[in-house]
This record gives sequence, structure tokens and C-alpha cells, in this order.
Amino acid sequence: MDSTSQPNGNDRPPTSRSQSNTTSSNYIGKHRLTAIISQHNQQIQLIQEELDQLETLGEASLVCGQLISSVESSTDALLPVTRGPADGGWDRWFQRANQSSSSRHRRRWI
Amino acid sequence: MQRSEMSSVAELKERHMAATETLTSLRQRLRERRLQLLDTDVATYARAQGKSPVSFGPTDLVCCRILQGHTGKVYSLDWTPEKNRIVSASQDGRLIVWNALTSQKTHAIKLPCAWVMTCAFSPTGQSVACGGLDSMCSIFNLSTPLEKDGNLPVSRTLSGHKGYVSTCQYVPDDDTHLITGSGDQACVLWDITTGLRTSVFGGEFQSGKTADVLSVSINGSNSRMFVSGSCDATARLWDTRVASRAVRTFYGHEGDVNSVKFFPDGNRFGTGSDDGTCRLFDIRTGHQLQVYSPQQQLQNGGNNNPNPDVTSIAFSISGRLLFASYSNGDCFVWDTLLAEVVLNLGTLQNSHESRVSCLGLAADGSALCTGSWDTSLKIWAFGGHRTVI
Repeated sequence: MDSTSQPNGNDRPPTSRSQSNTTSSNYIGKHRLTAIISQHNQQIQLIQEELDQLETLGEASLVCGQLISSVESSTDALLPVTRGPADGGWDRWFQRANQSSSSRHRRRWI
Repeated sequence: MQRSEMSSVAELKERHMAATETLTSLRQRLRERRLQLLDTDVATYARAQGKSPVSFGPTDLVCCRILQGHTGKVYSLDWTPEKNRIVSASQDGRLIVWNALTSQKTHAIKLPCAWVMTCAFSPTGQSVACGGLDSMCSIFNLSTPLEKDGNLPVSRTLSGHKGYVSTCQYVPDDDTHLITGSGDQACVLWDITTGLRTSVFGGEFQSGKTADVLSVSINGSNSRMFVSGSCDATARLWDTRVASRAVRTFYGHEGDVNSVKFFPDGNRFGTGSDDGTCRLFDIRTGHQLQVYSPQQQLQNGGNNNPNPDVTSIAFSISGRLLFASYSNGDCFVWDTLLAEVVLNLGTLQNSHESRVSCLGLAADGSALCTGSWDTSLKIWAFGGHRTVI
């Protein structure tokens, strides 16, 4: 930020230190304020868009139904009760290294 | 001259105040409107449908492998997509690549910077990535010949972050791109072949409050979308084609969001936080669908008992189970639909002796790996009687 140039073309040197500080801090303050105002306006626009969007999105209950369907239609090796098809590879963690995966005798690893 | 300059500053201050008031009241309106639309949560809805919680017998989920080799706390782990291999990162300054099925170590990589926080396996399993306090992400090609000192050389360094790299993940099905999250408050999409940043998301020059990024998760169903979790208690959804601003910011947590993970169907994601809760959010509507709160679970009446932090989360492959590790050593298995804890891996036989810092599910969903401050990794799988319908 170039604090030596003044936008109003004021060539009069500051007559006191405090005046100089006020001038330059006001100048810096202006730019910072302008930037913050611009940021706020951007955020205002974003929130307004989100509010408008919300009118069309529907309640949580609609989404809950979709979620439950998605979960219950999927297979899961870690559940005691699961939709199929089961994959024989799931139980490889309980087979000894020298056993084939088609072996009927599986050991528990407890 | 100065008088006019002063008055224009005064005008700006008025405009600033007006904009701040508008912003505050709009935020309030948004919060209220969202609350109005939250007519239920998942657990209430599921109970009303007559769903009952998952029921585990005492020996159903068991520890079937213990991977020992690190000499320091384990901070991060990641599985390969081709099922059985894991890479882990530890306080001991090493990455270890394991064959989880045989418990064998295939690589032990001494890192140039010992302060590692995160690691990831590439989709083909040919490379691993890590990052930490050096603010860089280092890539190792696992088939590169070892150097004379027995070390695997770094094949690419991704530098550009101005803060620690807390998290990294390869883009699914793409060995050439990965996403990092950093203490400099930004996420970066990297092109590994050139070492250059493709896009920067967030960071100090973006609008709004930002804070350290602690976790990222890329959508497995749509790899252009990813979620980041941050110290500012929010999670943000990003589209990699639009780096200038987040698609949506998700509020609700009251502490750092330490862990984010996409739900298997790609339409929701979970979060874990220092406020002790996990939450489930819907990406399309932005709704907070469920809060998973241990304090309610255990009916712990004392308000002076602080909630332990959630350190890491993972979903089972259907999403029915949410695994959550806590700073007090608990590792709860939540029934995602009923919001009930159905098991605590922290109290089972062979449980870890110290907090679990990281969790990950095998690609086929058949096993969960936990990494702990006790220096070991453990593999958990279902060894009980399974009913397939």
C-alpha cells in the first residue's frame, strides 16, 4: 500500500506528527474498510442465494428416507445381517495362510 | 481536503456497519429457516419406521491381526483399493507398508522429515504420499530401487503450502493427482507429474473466516467433490472446478472438525470434532441429518466431565455403521440410522492400550484397521455367524 501518494492531490505536508498519522491511518483505514465491505457484500449475496435455494430443497425427512433406502440396499461384510450376495473373500481374515479360500474348515482367529 | 477525506471514511464506516448488520440478520434468518426444515433427524425417522439397532454378539467383531513395527505413535493410515495393503505413518518418522493379511512389512521408509502427520496410498498401489510439519507432501514410488543407505528415495516433493500438511488423499482412480489440507488454511489439488498446484481452495486470501484444515475426504462417487474439516468448526464442500469459493459451508460443530469422511453413497458425509460429537450432513440440501453424541448415549449426567475429542471416523461400506475413535481410548461403533452405540472396540479383548488416532476401512468393507498411540495397528473383522438375505 503506497501511503505516500494521496488521492486528493494534497501537496501540503502534514503540519504535525499526529495529523500525518491520522491522514495515513485514515487512508489505510479506507482501503481496509472498502475491502471488508466488499467481502461482506459477497457473503450477503451468497447467503441470499442459499436462502432462495432452501425454498426448493425440502425438509430433512425427505432426505432421511433416501438415506435409509441407500443403506439397506447395500451389502456389508461387517454386519451380522446383510443383503447379499456375500463375497467368499470376506472371511480371508480368518483363514490360515496355507489354506485355500475354498476350504470348508475355517478357524476363528480369537 | 482532509475534511472530505475524513467524511468519506465516516461514510465507509456507516456502510460497513450497515453491511455487518445485514449480514448478521441474514445469517440468523438462514439459521432459523434451516431449523424449520429440520423436521426430524435420521434416528427419529428410523425409529418411527420400526427399525431396530444392529445387534452384535460378544465375539462378532474381533481383532484378527496386530501389526507391530512402529516405535512411536501411529498418526495416520490408508488402505490400497486392491484390498490387503496398508500404509501407516508414525511419530517414529517412518512410513511402513504392510500386507495386512500376512502381517508382513513390505517397506519401511525413513522420512526426510520425521514430523509426519498424514499418509496415503495411490489408487494403483504403486506409490505412497505423506506430509507433516515440513509443509510439504512427499511422494515415494514403491518400486524405485533403494539408495545405498537402504532408504527409499523421494520421487517427488510437492511444496507450496505455507503451513503443516495435516491430511492428504489421492484422487480416486488417478495416481497423478492428490489433495492436501494444511495449517495454512488452504486445500490444494496437486499435479504430481509436474509437482505444481492445479488449484488452491480457501486460504488467507479468501472471503470469510478460515482456519487450519485438519481433514479432507474426496467423494468416491464423484471425484470432483471433496469435503474439508477445519479448526473453525465448519466443514466445507468444494468442487475442484471452482476454487474461488466453497459450494457450501456446514455449521453445527462447536469445536475443531478433526475428521471428515464421505458417506458411501456419495450424497452425505460424516464429521468428528473436538466438541465430542460426530455429525451427518446432506450435501445437496446442507441439512444436518444427525448428531452422534456419546454423552447422551451413556447418560452421563455430570456437566463437568468434558466430552472426549473425536479423533477419527470411518463408515462401513453400506454406511450402516459409523466407527468413531475418541481421545479417551474409546472406539465406538455407532448404528448410523438409530444413532446408538452398538459396540465399543475400546473395551473388547485385544483392544488398543492407548487412544486410536486413525481408522480406515478395507476397500471391500471386510475389515477395519485402527492405528493407535500404543504404536500398533489392529485389524478388525466380522467372525461371527452372518445371515445373508
